[in-house]
Amino acid sequence: MPKCLIDGKEVEFSPGENLVKVAKRAGVEIPVFCYHPGLSVVAQCRMCYVEVEKMPKLQTACSTMAAEGMVVKTQSEAVKKGRQGTMEFLLLNHPLDCPICDKAGECDLQDNSFGHGSANMRHSEERRTYVDVDMGPVIQKNMNRCIHCTRCIRFGDEVAGIHEMVAIKRGNNIDITTIDGKQLKTEYAGNYSDICPTGSLTLKDFRFKKRAWMLKKTETVCEGCSKGCNMEIQHEGNVVYRCVPRENLEINKHWMCDEGRFNYRYTQDESRIVDPTLRAPDGHKGAAWQDVIATVESRIRGGEVLFLLGTDLTNEELSAIREAASALRTGIKIRTFGTPGVTKTSEDGSADNILKMKSKTSNLNGAEKLGLEPLAGDAKADTVIVFRGGRAALPKVEAKWSAGIGVFNREEASGFDSVLPGLAFTEKEGTVVNHAGIEQRISRAVRPKGTCKSVPEVLMSLLNTKSKAGQA
Amino acid sequence: MLAQRKPGFLNRVYLIEVVRGLAITMKNFLFHKKVTLQFPEQRRDYSGRYRGQHYIKSVNGVENCTACMLCPTVCPAECIHIVAGEREDKEKYPVKFEIDSLRCCFCGMCEEACPKDAIKLSNIYEMSQKNRTVYEKDFLLEQRGNK
Repeated sequence: MPKCLIDGKEVEFSPGENLVKVAKRAGVEIPVFCYHPGLSVVAQCRMCYVEVEKMPKLQTACSTMAAEGMVVKTQSEAVKKGRQGTMEFLLLNHPLDCPICDKAGECDLQDNSFGHGSANMRHSEERRTYVDVDMGPVIQKNMNRCIHCTRCIRFGDEVAGIHEMVAIKRGNNIDITTIDGKQLKTEYAGNYSDICPTGSLTLKDFRFKKRAWMLKKTETVCEGCSKGCNMEIQHEGNVVYRCVPRENLEINKHWMCDEGRFNYRYTQDESRIVDPTLRAPDGHKGAAWQDVIATVESRIRGGEVLFLLGTDLTNEELSAIREAASALRTGIKIRTFGTPGVTKTSEDGSADNILKMKSKTSNLNGAEKLGLEPLAGDAKADTVIVFRGGRAALPKVEAKWSAGIGVFNREEASGFDSVLPGLAFTEKEGTVVNHAGIEQRISRAVRPKGTCKSVPEVLMSLLNTKSKAGQA
Repeated sequence: MLAQRKPGFLNRVYLIEVVRGLAITMKNFLFHKKVTLQFPEQRRDYSGRYRGQHYIKSVNGVENCTACMLCPTVCPAECIHIVAGEREDKEKYPVKFEIDSLRCCFCGMCEEACPKDAIKLSNIYEMSQKNRTVYEKDFLLEQRGNK
């Protein structure tokens, strides 16, 4: 491997790597705005200046490839002066509205200004202002804060596959906007907010909800589809405020789709059932856990019983249900359900050639690897018990008596005779297997709502009730 | 064993000590400046830096606060609770601004952190109340004090 010197440290690199990446490995952070590891290099923010020996001028580290024997200085006086000048230019028209900006606390402009800028401002003229266009339901635009790094334009072109952001006009009047001021069409619009180094593009969903530094972060995996994108749940006080993608170059790189990003909403929706219910003559009524468990246990005892398992459950839950089913009674049939039309991994595939998959449940592959058979046709039995993580599409159930265990909203629950509320993906731990066979861990971010119980807890109390009934 | 000394006659009468004590009392009573004052008729002037009752500064009826959440962030007692919102004349404003006065330790860090000069501690020190311990936004918006 060839080697180069960065700030006196010898670093190995593979040919074609740029100085930002190589320096990062050496433990030297080079400030950047327009450079993003997932996008092409344009070198237009001029923030990543470094001094390279035998080169007459400062070089931009993002567009300079490391070469054998290169000697790079990132902390010399010339570099510091260059970065300070760049910062001053970028801040000429930047409004100092950090107190009301959602990006504050995780803003590259704030960080780099603090680290490399000057505390004084020589500029006293009026700042440039814009009238903002409506960018649709996901992104809130504030052009005054923009520093024209064009990350958003490149993201649309290179990742989302739709050219909808453009830079119009030139020089001081430059405006980054959508073509003809239209609303964003891409289903990956949330990423615009992630990659924007300033607060120009922020999430409408997260607008003024919380400051970035107040959020606790839990690393987990998206349950939106069988891709298994790595993400981070950001929460505070048992409330999830947003989900952002986590870097995983093998799966989702740096991105995630809006469906997965806003998927957390149903877990804290008003209509989610969080206490057990039993059907009474005049609709569903709240009931005690022990009564509901006893009813379910007595229903399982006789007749033809079918357990339907959503492929949005974790491996642990699926195998626990299978073991408990054989302990409860012999002859309980187990079938899985998930996305209509995608019952096997062989039917699964990319839905849009970016990230989204056809299977809208996270663990289709895991269920198949456990040897569980998918449901064919409608669910017909005397008693049907549906286990569901919250996302699997419910099949038609034809039964004398049916119960749902897991996450259901009020509308879905009306089809069942009893609902035993379970944990959503933000509230439980476990492993899921994505479409490519990569096993990943999901982590618990918040406490369960209401009296929700996990699937193993419900199964244990079912078995306890059975053994007590056997003794009596 | 300790030797016991019998006090003399003058010591046993205490007369000299009584007179001496009274002299000190009279000196303080007649010639010393008074330490107490007749509250509530008389009030003491506190320094402008005194940290008492909180208030939110407003200009032309619009609160200075932009709900930037720096005060709850810096508050060591975690007694400030803000919910931010948006309205027509102001991009970001506090929908709710509550100070739990029982938790507050009057350290003045909120005042120091505020970038908009919105939250202030006045020189009002009479804050005993029968029941309310949470100061709400409307209460805090009334301008009081000497700052």
